Amino acid sequence: MYRYNEFDRQFVKARAAQFRDQLQRHLAGELPEDDFRALRLQNGWYIQRHAPMLRVAVPYGALASRQLRQLARLARRHDLRDAGTARERGGFGHFSTRHNMQFNWIPLTEAADAMDMLAEVDMHGIQTSGNCIRNITTDALAGIAPDELIDPRPYCEIMRQWSTLQPEFAFLPRKFKLAVIGAHEDRAAIAWHDIGLQLHHDAAGAVGFRVFVGGGMGRTPVIATLINDFVPWQQILVFIEAIVRVYNLHGRRDNSFKARIKILVKAEGQRFVDAVNAEFAALLPDSPHVIPQAEFDRVAAHFVAPVREPATPKTATTGAMPVAYSRWLERNVHGHKLPGYRAVTLSLKRAGLPPGDVTADQMDGAADLADRFSAGELRVTHDQNLLLPWVAEHELHALWMAAREGGFATPNIGLLTDMIACPGGDLCGLANARSLPIAAAITERFDDLDTLYDIGDIDLHISGCINSCGHHHSGHIGILGVDKDGSEWYQVTLGGSDGSTLSGAATPGKVIGPSFAADEVPDVVETLVDTYRRERQAGERFIDTVRRLGTPPFRAAADRVRRSTAAPVVA
Amino acid sequence: MQLIAVSDALPAHALALANTDDVLALAHGVRSAPAVVLNFPKWTDGRAYSQAVLLRGRLRYAGEIIATGDVVVDMLPLLRRCGFDAARLRADQNPQIAARVMQSLPAPFPGHYQGDVLGSRPRFAQFTA
Repeated sequence: MYRYNEFDRQFVKARAAQFRDQLQRHLAGELPEDDFRALRLQNGWYIQRHAPMLRVAVPYGALASRQLRQLARLARRHDLRDAGTARERGGFGHFSTRHNMQFNWIPLTEAADAMDMLAEVDMHGIQTSGNCIRNITTDALAGIAPDELIDPRPYCEIMRQWSTLQPEFAFLPRKFKLAVIGAHEDRAAIAWHDIGLQLHHDAAGAVGFRVFVGGGMGRTPVIATLINDFVPWQQILVFIEAIVRVYNLHGRRDNSFKARIKILVKAEGQRFVDAVNAEFAALLPDSPHVIPQAEFDRVAAHFVAPVREPATPKTATTGAMPVAYSRWLERNVHGHKLPGYRAVTLSLKRAGLPPGDVTADQMDGAADLADRFSAGELRVTHDQNLLLPWVAEHELHALWMAAREGGFATPNIGLLTDMIACPGGDLCGLANARSLPIAAAITERFDDLDTLYDIGDIDLHISGCINSCGHHHSGHIGILGVDKDGSEWYQVTLGGSDGSTLSGAATPGKVIGPSFAADEVPDVVETLVDTYRRERQAGERFIDTVRRLGTPPFRAAADRVRRSTAAPVVA
Repeated sequence: MQLIAVSDALPAHALALANTDDVLALAHGVRSAPAVVLNFPKWTDGRAYSQAVLLRGRLRYAGEIIATGDVVVDMLPLLRRCGFDAARLRADQNPQIAARVMQSLPAPFPGHYQGDVLGSRPRFAQFTA
């Protein structure tokens, strides 16, 4: 993992001090809410339904156990309240799809203290919101995936530093998200980002980036366009600077729904690409931001494997394994670059807790597991789980036992209940509808593991509004909360893809008819899944059957479970 | 950074640009102007930062660059790093806070990661010098 030096440490402390000054001026009435808003957003502070929400960055998903313990302390000290229902008491965090952890109950008056606590462990909320370059995301298996060509983490760190308080790009037309991968498999949904970067080698073996621009979800889902097949790694900051400058000067600012770079790329087409190339050509000869080899080497030295010797070979298992253990091995344990090692997902998708939520005690528990089994390192995954990247094969059984104890061993990774969901209308001020009761009802409906395993791989994504934090567009089944006349309704889409091999080329799902009532949604999911189980051919997964048959049979099945939303029968 | 009071006039012969103007296309006029005035119609509209960076970095403009419009004190650090010399703050801004924010520049930050048009090298240059 990257370790902060004195400069990095002073930098986040300075940022916390700057925020404290702005907060104090706001609380003293010297900085009106209209002006304070943009400043607090760029430090991760939203004002939500009940209280402010703090979004903490976990840059490219790498989290140290000591940092997770500090997040637990933060949850107890500032987020926990002595009133309200179980959920309203706070004391928990929520992992989003973009390597962030969110807290929902910290009073604004304690916001600066929270930032100081984060700075103590080299953490912050810098650029986790606002119309700026956001926290950079990557593959949760970066540096350990067997199919990896080039480790993206050093590049992510160099980009993180470059984008942090970049003064020219602090007030872009709209938010700006980067995702980077270095493997064959896309585990970071890069085509759905403002800039998606894929490391690869050119014919001569040099390292560079394939650059995709203009992807995004929201009201107008767009898949990013490839604009350069090979930008040498040394020049990537300059190329990004060219893209963002063209966007800053020409992106629309008259309508926030049309302000993302995807709209500019669609509207301008080749003219946009020409403008970026011209800006890049003008910048490159004099740019101080061409990355020197020595800087790459300095940063890359932070990412050497924390485990050097191949682990002791796995001892032969005698006797039959318990079914629960073999299921966990099948779903939650992943291949590793290093012989004798495995990556293990700690499932945050279990009955009784919203997807991605962790209580303070669970944060401590996960930190303990990381210390005991994974060299003190965790990853935050794009689908709202935690992952231990450095687990010795011979310790898998001990880890399974300990993970079960901690409630992290639900063997459901990639299955229906491993769904993505935003916090929705229970907590979020933007949401049109609640996500969590829908997620809970589906989890409850599909509590039988045999059924889940029979359904197999499927991506279910739930967003409480069109801002798409729950990535409904890219779900094989997508559920979107909509508001009509003050009540909650749910639009269902089918056949979306995040761009993984399993899901196929990135594409938004297709809407299957008018919105459903909340109490119809679990029935809709069940009938979609049943239609697949009835119609599937040998070896077909859900998404394959949807592609082969198209939406009509699924739509017809969904219409048959309508109750309150059924068309009235005309006599 | 100089602050220009709301009641004070802008320098004579200053060239005022809209934030939609293409500063590179206007290079000829810019070069002959002693000062360029860039506008922030809303302080969260960041186009003029890029205009200033292009003036300083691409055109090597050496005259004065002045920020006007909806300019608030918390923009001052960003304005400075993008090459502005002066700002006329929005009428309701407190000059004492502005002075304090400016005095603390570049502190409390120990420096910045990026290079900028003032000639600062990126942080990584020090590791590779």
